[in-house]
Amino acid sequence: MNDFSELEAELKKLRPAPASPELTARIERGLAEVSGRTATAGVLPRRRNIRVNWLGLGLGLAAAAALLLLARLDVDQPAGKRQSVVATTPLPFAQPVPVNDAFVPAGLTQVVYDTRDEGLHFPEGSNEPVRRVRSRKRETLKWNNPQTGTSLRVSYPSEEVTLIPVDGQ
Amino acid sequence: MENVVTHEDWKVCFSELAPGLVLFARQFVRTSADAEDIVQDAFVRFWRKEHSIENRGLLYATVRSVALDLLRRDTRRARREANAALEVEQTTAPQFDFDDGSQRELAAAIDRLPVEQREVLVMKIWNELTFAEIGQALAISQNTAASRYRYALAALKKNFVVHE
Repeated sequence: MNDFSELEAELKKLRPAPASPELTARIERGLAEVSGRTATAGVLPRRRNIRVNWLGLGLGLAAAAALLLLARLDVDQPAGKRQSVVATTPLPFAQPVPVNDAFVPAGLTQVVYDTRDEGLHFPEGSNEPVRRVRSRKRETLKWNNPQTGTSLRVSYPSEEVTLIPVDGQ
Repeated sequence: MENVVTHEDWKVCFSELAPGLVLFARQFVRTSADAEDIVQDAFVRFWRKEHSIENRGLLYATVRSVALDLLRRDTRRARREANAALEVEQTTAPQFDFDDGSQRELAAAIDRLPVEQREVLVMKIWNELTFAEIGQALAISQNTAASRYRYALAALKKNFVVHE
């Protein structure tokens, strides 16, 4: 309990004015306009622009050149000398890695960024058309360690193609 | 072993965040309409870049960036906002729903805080960001964020007596 707990409680009683109902619709339109695709429950992101970071590129090239130079110097050394270096280098002692099995899965979140209807297709060996819908998602897996309170989170993009049979009416 | 699986789309994410985001945007402009314009622009930008929705520091940084861009872009508008800020109580739409006069006084006291304290207060109280996330959003250290929060509370406590 700090000096401000009572004031903080009073502040939390204030409720922010709600956003207008049109805001969600406006965002949906905004997302659809950007991509020029059909608006769906998902989001239609624009392809990322590739920007060249010249400083980073220059530093990367310099580092690669330095590595190549070092590698060449190493190759140029006599074989005997290299052997002695290898022989005198102590081998690292491999420590057994403790297996931490205290992490427990805490959840999987899938956020759909883009859903695109790719139209009708005829799968191989079938006379019935199907509608192909492609969804782009980001999945986030989370594990918690209840003992230490630490958490581990892995996030990666994924793509899913769904074939929906079309009713021939 | 529990494995919780949830399927979310942007509408679900947005509906949870919208009131807090609009309130945060209101710290830079004086009308709800302007604040909603900022939130719309920022959310579309954020989502298009496929950032994780859990990266709240970045989301609020995007809202702040869009708001500041808007103010810089339109100097006439900025002047109007500055003039409006001087006459807060007469010209601005309320940022909160009030239950009583005491809450109205508290909201007015919040409005009188310096903007750098107010934005930290809004992110902490009504958006429940951590000081680390606030620091990320404002490009300041989390200690600075915590200090600004304490200064804001101290200023409010000085000017506002909690009613029983």
